[in-house]
Amino acid sequence: MIPLLVLHVAVAAALALFHRRLGRWAFVLGAIGPAATLLWALSIAGDVIAGSPEIDSFSWVPSLGLEIGFRIDSYALLFLLVIAGAGLPIFLYSHRYFSASRRATIFAATMLVFAGSMTGLVAADHLLVLFVFWELTTISSYLLIGYKDEEASARSAALHAALVTGAGGLAMLGGMVLLAGEAGTYVISELIANPPAATAAVNAGWALVLIGAVTKSAQFPFHAWLPGAMAAPTPASAFLHSATMVKAGIFLVGKVGVAAAGSADWWQPAVLILGGITMVIGGWRALRQHDLKLLLAYGTVSQLGFIFLLMGSGIPELVFGGVALLLSHALFKATLFMVVGAIDHETGTRDLRRLSGLRSSMPRLFWVAVATGLSMAAVPLTIGFAAKEAAFVALLDENVWWVAAAAAASTLTVAYTGRFLIGAFGTHHPDREPAHGSALSVRNTLLSAPGSLALISVAVGLIPTALFPLVDSATEAVTGISKAGKLVVWPGWVAALAWSLASLSIGLVLAWRSDLMSRAGDRVAVVARRLPDAENVYRRSIPALLRFADSSSSLLQSGSLPAYLAIILIVAVVGPTVAVLAEGPTLLVPENGSLLEWMLGILIVGFAVSLAFVRRRFAVVILLGGVGYGMAGVYSVFGGPDLTLTQLLVETLVITLFAFVLRHLPATFARPATARLPRLAVALAVGAFVFGAGLVVNAARQPSAVAASYLEQSVPEAAGGNVVNVILVDFRAFDTFGEITVLVAAVLGAAGLVVPVIRNARSRA
Amino acid sequence: MKSTRRSAILESGVITVAGPLIVFSIYLLFAGHNQPGGGFSGGLVAGVLISLVWAAGGTAAVRRVVPLRATLLMGTGLVVAALTGFASLLPGLVFLESGYVEVSLPVFGDVKVVSALFFDIGVYLVVVGMALGLVKALGEEGKPMEAEQ
Repeated sequence: MIPLLVLHVAVAAALALFHRRLGRWAFVLGAIGPAATLLWALSIAGDVIAGSPEIDSFSWVPSLGLEIGFRIDSYALLFLLVIAGAGLPIFLYSHRYFSASRRATIFAATMLVFAGSMTGLVAADHLLVLFVFWELTTISSYLLIGYKDEEASARSAALHAALVTGAGGLAMLGGMVLLAGEAGTYVISELIANPPAATAAVNAGWALVLIGAVTKSAQFPFHAWLPGAMAAPTPASAFLHSATMVKAGIFLVGKVGVAAAGSADWWQPAVLILGGITMVIGGWRALRQHDLKLLLAYGTVSQLGFIFLLMGSGIPELVFGGVALLLSHALFKATLFMVVGAIDHETGTRDLRRLSGLRSSMPRLFWVAVATGLSMAAVPLTIGFAAKEAAFVALLDENVWWVAAAAAASTLTVAYTGRFLIGAFGTHHPDREPAHGSALSVRNTLLSAPGSLALISVAVGLIPTALFPLVDSATEAVTGISKAGKLVVWPGWVAALAWSLASLSIGLVLAWRSDLMSRAGDRVAVVARRLPDAENVYRRSIPALLRFADSSSSLLQSGSLPAYLAIILIVAVVGPTVAVLAEGPTLLVPENGSLLEWMLGILIVGFAVSLAFVRRRFAVVILLGGVGYGMAGVYSVFGGPDLTLTQLLVETLVITLFAFVLRHLPATFARPATARLPRLAVALAVGAFVFGAGLVVNAARQPSAVAASYLEQSVPEAAGGNVVNVILVDFRAFDTFGEITVLVAAVLGAAGLVVPVIRNARSRA
Repeated sequence: MKSTRRSAILESGVITVAGPLIVFSIYLLFAGHNQPGGGFSGGLVAGVLISLVWAAGGTAAVRRVVPLRATLLMGTGLVVAALTGFASLLPGLVFLESGYVEVSLPVFGDVKVVSALFFDIGVYLVVVGMALGLVKALGEEGKPMEAEQ
């Protein structure tokens, strides 16, 4: 696993490095990554499906138990096959799709980084490792979606995707920390095997993880980023939005679904409802699109909703259907995206109102689209049908309403598939000059890449049992149940078939009478306009967020020094005071001190009080110095010669430095602009607080074992009689080292600030 | 408060205390391990002396008395401290853990030389550099000696 990831990074780096020479061949070189993944996954497939997962881990910080752990069970294997199986043809496809440019090469490198991140994500067996790869996919997908960075729409779409999935990723991280804290482990396989009992923290943890998955997989109400992300070049859409990125959320809910549903009873309804809403909204909106790519994007949202609710439910039979659908979806959706890309590439448009007659001018592409389109519509004899049947059978066992919802979404799917195929390849508008494409040769990867996926799709559609071992063992890996479902060409006359056939026939009628559909759709749209639209909610929330940031920072950062000081001091006083009063404080009132202590105390207080009445700056500095020297006296009385010495020296130096600064300031303080009384109140409060704190803190003091051990070990360990110094230069020397480093930085900063100001003042004078 | 007058009392006073202060400063540095003191307080004494020199003769005098850049002093101090830390790794100790050797010196007799002393020297240099840097930066404007020359 680790060599595989290194390979991805190394090839990506090489692509970036030699981007001048490579041109479009970068994509062929980049295909090394998914090809290697595919070969490796196939080589271990036998063992993994038989039930022995491939484990690879690298101990990073052994003392903290931090391991970069990978564990490829058959569930992860399934995803590896999907990622690499879709990635390889898409890389080859891109070779013909892009024209040679430096940016295309960088795009290839980014896509490879993305492929590597995705590979690491599904193989990870450590929550934090999973998170790191999760965020890597977010970042690299941001770059891929924003490829056309000269277009504002592409930039904002990339930002939208990154913000939504990034925020979801952060929520997920919080959830992972909560869950790992309760379960006592970050290892995913252990967490799933022994899910923590449902406490408030565990519930919150699962909810946050669910938010991460929902955002990543573009589920309601965060689904709007996915259609927006169609601003990406089509190969990226084919890769990210059919087989990989959006499947990451599904991967996650599938992986933790059983454990989460077991420990949080709201999990299952939440997943079912979110997935169900997404499935219907996506299907409906797909019907309303004119851009072929957007049509597929909303179709993806719909399909993802269906797969999400199946995989997240934690019910083995549903998971089986979900896994099968996931495979079939990757096969047909990646192909169809590539078909759209080829149409766009050849004709220059994706608008189905402008396309016409492509069936005769691009016949091979047409048959590729039909073969996979039928699978998307779940027509019998396709893998899409076999998978959907498995899902329907399982749903029927649970609740008839879920089947009804799924059948409704399927009806819409059939309808938008019809819209897609008829719109792209049919002949309409004989009066207008249509956009014609040219026939693609079989050697052109624009045709052969989607064509090869279509062949696989057709093959497994005719012999779905060939996929059964993979689907079954993947289901078993996450649910522990084998043979939870069946993959068959023809299910026989069962109830689920009736639902399938009903949705198929209604869908066909809808596709046939698309004029009726669009009129009905207009009417619904009038009503729907009153409902909040996810896209608009996002658009409005960003300026609102910025306004909130503006107003809160202008409130908190007023620029007034007295206000800052007052806020800091009041918080410092009120917080601990409330805490201490709530606990019920114990006070340690010291015994009557010696005459010397009294004298020092009176001296210090006298200096401090007189400070408040002095207007001359220099006098203030001298009086402050007096307070400091008094404190040195106190240290000395209580037997701290080192402290005394340091205090005296620091005080002296500070007075001198003050004198330096005072030369540049007026001799007396200006009359304060704010009222005196509030300042006095704050000052008195701080004084009283510090006094009280002294009494409370001393009462809480316990003899420290550390102090005793320092005293004991000072001479034998460090050969030093002065414990204070030994602590500074030996026991805690690392701290001292840090402090002198900070000191240097502070001096450099202060000098950098002050010198230009003085020079400036002098040049003006 | 720009002063362009030299004060004879101040100047000769500073010259008088300079020697004892330097000795005291170095004494604190070396005695620190067993007596009150250490690199930090030793460096502060030197820093106070630098500010006295400034008071008597301005930045020009400071430049003549300590013809070094403050950043050089501070940087050297940090390097010395860091090297002491890494030197501890050689005999298999932890970073900055101290070891010692006993040597017989002609005047001082048997002395334990602790490796932490070098760390303290680093601290000392940093503190002196800090004082020098601040004095130079803050004291730039007033140049009484040059004004008279």
